[in-house]
Amino acid sequence: MIEIKLVVNDKPYTLEVEPSERLIDALRNRLGLLGTKEGCGEGECGACTVIMDGKTVNSCLVLAAQANGSVITSIEGVGNRRSPHRVQKAFVEVGAVQCGFCTPGMVLSAKNLLDKNSKPSNEEIGIAMSGNLCRCTGYDKILRAVKIAAEEGKE
Amino acid sequence: MKTSVVGSRVVREDAWGKVFGQTKFPADVNLQGQIYAVVIRSPHPHARVLGINSEQAMSLAGVVAVLTAKDVPNNSHGVLFRDQPVLAEYIRMVGDPVAVVGAETEEIARAAAKLVEVEYQVLPAVFDPEEAMRPDALPLHPTLRPTNVLYHMPIRRGNLQEGWAQADVVIEKEYSTQHVDHAFLQPEAVLAHVDERGHMVVETATQYAHYDRGEIAHALGLRFSQVQVKTLAVGGAFGGREDISLQIMAALMAWNTLRPVKMENTREESFYSHSKRHPMRMHYKTGATKDGKLVALEAKIIGDAGAYSSWSINVLRKSAVHASGPYVIPNVSIDSYAVFTNNPYSGAMRGFGAAQTVLAYESQMDLLAKEIGISPLEIRLRNLFKVGSTTATGQVLTGSVPLDQCLAKIAPYLQRGGDSQ
Repeated sequence: MIEIKLVVNDKPYTLEVEPSERLIDALRNRLGLLGTKEGCGEGECGACTVIMDGKTVNSCLVLAAQANGSVITSIEGVGNRRSPHRVQKAFVEVGAVQCGFCTPGMVLSAKNLLDKNSKPSNEEIGIAMSGNLCRCTGYDKILRAVKIAAEEGKE
Repeated sequence: MKTSVVGSRVVREDAWGKVFGQTKFPADVNLQGQIYAVVIRSPHPHARVLGINSEQAMSLAGVVAVLTAKDVPNNSHGVLFRDQPVLAEYIRMVGDPVAVVGAETEEIARAAAKLVEVEYQVLPAVFDPEEAMRPDALPLHPTLRPTNVLYHMPIRRGNLQEGWAQADVVIEKEYSTQHVDHAFLQPEAVLAHVDERGHMVVETATQYAHYDRGEIAHALGLRFSQVQVKTLAVGGAFGGREDISLQIMAALMAWNTLRPVKMENTREESFYSHSKRHPMRMHYKTGATKDGKLVALEAKIIGDAGAYSSWSINVLRKSAVHASGPYVIPNVSIDSYAVFTNNPYSGAMRGFGAAQTVLAYESQMDLLAKEIGISPLEIRLRNLFKVGSTTATGQVLTGSVPLDQCLAKIAPYLQRGGDSQ
């Protein structure tokens, strides 16, 4: 077992993890953060996206040990029913949510884009969301939701 | 009629739970003391299981049980016919499940699965549906059908000979489509346990909770009232969750061990375990007059049902009914077949047999237009269904048939002629 220290959703944790344990396993099984979804286990679908030190990563491709010392945001760290993040609000209002399995990863990719670029172009939105697959094929509304969230953020 | 709902924008209530990551999919539920189960699947497309040796697997610390065909009270399931084994002794496709291993952790279950020795007698397999249709081909389901032809749907209208006599142009082509996987984003997962009433409770993502309940009850030899299926959030399905997948195996393991049982497919296992879109081979011969009026269609559609029936009959019926497209054709002969092979089994997927034939009949329209020298739009305008038209199956259309309006809307976007490459 390996001891790691990391900050998840603003809370510090010290965990004992297996050498082969993936970050998604540590988040889901050790911390009970079940909003992070596993769709493919090989970095294709983006359902397991989390924000690690300001970058979106596929948590199925990151070993828990590699996350030692990092700061992580999972979907549980973004908004709530009282005060949803503007990305979450836009996703609901535009109808960008169908089966919902890709949604946590989509929200995190969109949030991370807007954290860094408050006025993204359509192309920049497309690139930022390109690592997240939606098999219900609701891409048009997803991209529109990100655009609306971006516009709401501009003041 | 006035309504405040139709035409208005309605927020779907389940969307909030999904954007916060709170929604529970089957992989997200757990019970105290649960074990994990993993399936051992056949690497052969056609084989007999001669023996299964699970001694080594059972000796691994943490392994709770290894179940095989012998442990299934009624070893069959299936949506139309119960022609699919829960755990197979006779293998009809790669991916047929032969054993389930239950263990204290998923890692132990996966390690133990590798230690189960399965002895197969490999049999010659057939992958081409036209080959499988030959009368001398070995039938894969002899108790269900004497040959591999599971289904034949003939449609006849008018007089084909007269149709060809009127035709100035005839196009004859063969089209084919391939297997497609739904690849719904959430791989199959189940949590099964025997509750305090002694009832079998199965939590899963399914398109048919009531159907699953009947299948589980049948396979385990339980009464309907002893089985409860709870549908959690369904992470995409598109037809791929109509057939049962892990539900019976998880229930069987829970019933045998009296432990809660969790099963989760990897993406690879998911590809091996659920249905596919039917590959179809479509022979089309279509005739039209020089004015661009369709006069005759002869079509033969062969759908690869793969190893099990699933919904093949309904799917190939739909292919037959849609084979003439949205066009009036007075003389028609359509034959649609569903054929067993040793390929992965085919089932429901978005469009349900209607999607494949579009490739054939619309390509024929473009080729006819080119031959006649009119635009692809024009040939469609001259033949499309209107209110009062009769379809190839003899149905008189009385309802809304706004195809002309649809084409009128897209017409400005079409480049006239030369757009039918």
